[in-house]
Amino acid sequence: MDRLFPFGFPSATAFYLALYVLTLVIHVAFMNYVLAGTGYLVASALLSRRRTDGDGLTLADTLRDWMPFALSAAITAGVAPLLFVQILYKKNFYTANLLLFHRWMAILPVLIVGFYLLYLLKARAAERWPAWGRTLLAFGALLCFAFTAYSWTENHLLSADSTNWPGLYESNARTYWHPQLVPRLFLWAAGAVATMCLLAAWQLHFAGGMKPFSAADVGRLARLALAGLVFSGAGGLAYWYFLEAPQRRVLTGPLAGPYLAAALIGLVVQLFAWLDQLRHATIRPKSLMVCSIGLSMTLVCVTVVREALRLASIDIATLQEQHLAAASKGGLFVFLLFFAVNAGLIAWCLRLARRKQPG
Amino acid sequence: MERMGVELPYYPVNDFGPIIKGLVIGGLGIFHVFLAQFAIGGGMLMCYFQWLAQSGRSPSARRLLDGYFRVLVLISFVLGALTGVAMWFTTIQISPRTIGVMVDEFHWVWATEWTFFCLEVVAGYAFYRCGARLDDRARMTLLVLYTIAAWFSLFWINGILSWQLTPGDWNSTHEVWAGFFNPGFWPSLVFRTIVSLTIASLAACVVINSIPDLDREQRATLIQQAARLLAPMALMPALGLSYLTTLPEDSRSWVQGGSAAMTMFMGITIVASLLIGLHALLGFIWRKLYISGATATLLLALAFGATAGGEFVREGVRKPFTIREYLFSNSIRPQEVATLRRTGCVTNDPYPLRNSADYPLETLRLGAKVFRFQCSICHTMNGVNGLTHLAGSWEADQKRMNIAKLQRTKPFMPPFAGSPEELEALAQLIEWNHEGRPGQWPSGGDPEGLARIGRWLDEAGTAPATWPRGAGDEFEVE
Repeated sequence: MDRLFPFGFPSATAFYLALYVLTLVIHVAFMNYVLAGTGYLVASALLSRRRTDGDGLTLADTLRDWMPFALSAAITAGVAPLLFVQILYKKNFYTANLLLFHRWMAILPVLIVGFYLLYLLKARAAERWPAWGRTLLAFGALLCFAFTAYSWTENHLLSADSTNWPGLYESNARTYWHPQLVPRLFLWAAGAVATMCLLAAWQLHFAGGMKPFSAADVGRLARLALAGLVFSGAGGLAYWYFLEAPQRRVLTGPLAGPYLAAALIGLVVQLFAWLDQLRHATIRPKSLMVCSIGLSMTLVCVTVVREALRLASIDIATLQEQHLAAASKGGLFVFLLFFAVNAGLIAWCLRLARRKQPG
Repeated sequence: MERMGVELPYYPVNDFGPIIKGLVIGGLGIFHVFLAQFAIGGGMLMCYFQWLAQSGRSPSARRLLDGYFRVLVLISFVLGALTGVAMWFTTIQISPRTIGVMVDEFHWVWATEWTFFCLEVVAGYAFYRCGARLDDRARMTLLVLYTIAAWFSLFWINGILSWQLTPGDWNSTHEVWAGFFNPGFWPSLVFRTIVSLTIASLAACVVINSIPDLDREQRATLIQQAARLLAPMALMPALGLSYLTTLPEDSRSWVQGGSAAMTMFMGITIVASLLIGLHALLGFIWRKLYISGATATLLLALAFGATAGGEFVREGVRKPFTIREYLFSNSIRPQEVATLRRTGCVTNDPYPLRNSADYPLETLRLGAKVFRFQCSICHTMNGVNGLTHLAGSWEADQKRMNIAKLQRTKPFMPPFAGSPEELEALAQLIEWNHEGRPGQWPSGGDPEGLARIGRWLDEAGTAPATWPRGAGDEFEVE
């Protein structure tokens, strides 16, 4: 705990921690897009009742069109961190799953419902529905994803609270409350808005050659992103308030302090990049690039900070022998080989799909 | 003499009511396997129809492709993907220790499978979104990549699942690839590939009948073409027999009459497969018969039944293990039995009972904890596979002896892994439940009775019935 994450841990533990964080970041990026994008679709469906100029629908159309794929990508990307979290924190993760039981398992049917609502929202038939019908569809999907986000946060906090496990089990309760739950959720949800805005801006940029996007969309995205960043900063402060003293020491100490600073720098970089975007009322690839660097910094570093908080609550030393045993298992070379091959094939698929589209 | 330290991981155990946990994971597993195999076979079928379309052999093939892929995306990409995640979460609910061992052992295999999931999703969505605007070559490339990715996901998971039943040399070497390419790997892989083709082909017949504005002749042609993928079913009997030969002898005996349930489910699988195979080979391929949507759906339902029976058998014949020779169904390792008999299996269990006040006696509370730890994975108390139904009518001493010599009483049961006091408490609990859970219950467990239980436990030994007698006695645990 007295060295920069993950270097202070034995090599096997550090290796799995790094893999977990990196794969989780990919999952978080897609997850943020889905959560905030669905929120935007709810707002868009609500506002379209009053809108008469037809402006501003491009962004909503793009989001609606891509949302099922984004959810599929989020779920698929989630498999890898789900694998590594089991190696790292087996007993904690399994116990939290077991204690929440069917309340936790409910995220699966809920996600299936959310998935189909997204497809329905995208269907041509839904375009002919009245605004309240589309609003309900989008709101239903948002509720599903919000429930999933809530459940994951609940599960995460419970997994690190081993002293309360026997009592919670005996009480037969299926919910777990922690003072940090709401500020954590708020921080993630606000941060999700900025992620979605950036990914959507890139989409609009790449789609620009085929379908012109409106200046209103760019302005709206920039304002939304700025609001998301400001609120996530406020959420971070609120979360800090609810942290216990040892947790605060971890965040300002050598393990996570530099990452916290880098996350804040990334946040500021994003703020300036979006302000630049707002000033020019058009998509500027250079600003997007700068913003992407800022967002990547923030996402990676916030994920590390999240992990550092968990490490402060769990006696990781007792698990290090298991990590070493897991690391001795064969198959890493095969994974790396197919990772490279399949990454190449995925790039080929994207190239094929993009190249063949008519201009 | 092998000496080893044991730190048994205790997890909170949930009560599934009258349903046994095996039914929950089994039901979900069957559903997921069926969807996954549909996706794998679907990829192969679409490659074939793309080839028919681009080579001018079937003008209507493209219509089927578009309709079929939409079904595949809506069903497989949503339900298939999420039931896959659900399998993981449900396995944690049922047996966290089992999934923990599997993840530790095969995490790089799973991670490799994940890279194929990613390719499958990207290739699939690229075809779904852009397929209509792509030229034939690009369409075929995307479909082939999708199919390769889908089939390889079967390749990787098949190694892990077949390892549970036939770990082969892994038990002595603990090497990942020795476990992965286990004796059951290839027969199981080829068999599942043919099952995938069968499901995809029957699903295509349903889709063909649901495409509007195709005339009967076009439908008949497409059905004949889709049915060609059923031809490999002719290999199923030989492959099935070959797979059977890889099973451990005792497991094989369960499906050959040793266990009524296993034999019955095996029979369902064989009869359902035979009916589909005969219909395919004689009806579709030889007589070139037409098939309506209703009949195709019925055949698809039969295929689901065959899959269900097969998966049930695969899960069932592993007993008494969840990982053959390594971990018993109740998540206790053979090497741990001796220690648990000495120390007690729930002595260190940190989780209290949820309904402690329901039991009038401390012995019954101890029995309930033993039941929760050792039995509840496969049994309920009064519901499905309930202990009161199975053992309630036994006389008191008969109960004690049969539980003490559990692996001799029923060879698909693991040895009892607890102290004589715990065994006595479990026997009392079964008796108490059988008597209708009265408010007053005499305390049992006299020293002489406990000594007798101890002798029975010693006579039974700590090894499962599938091992030679006394084989587990070398495990002396610290």
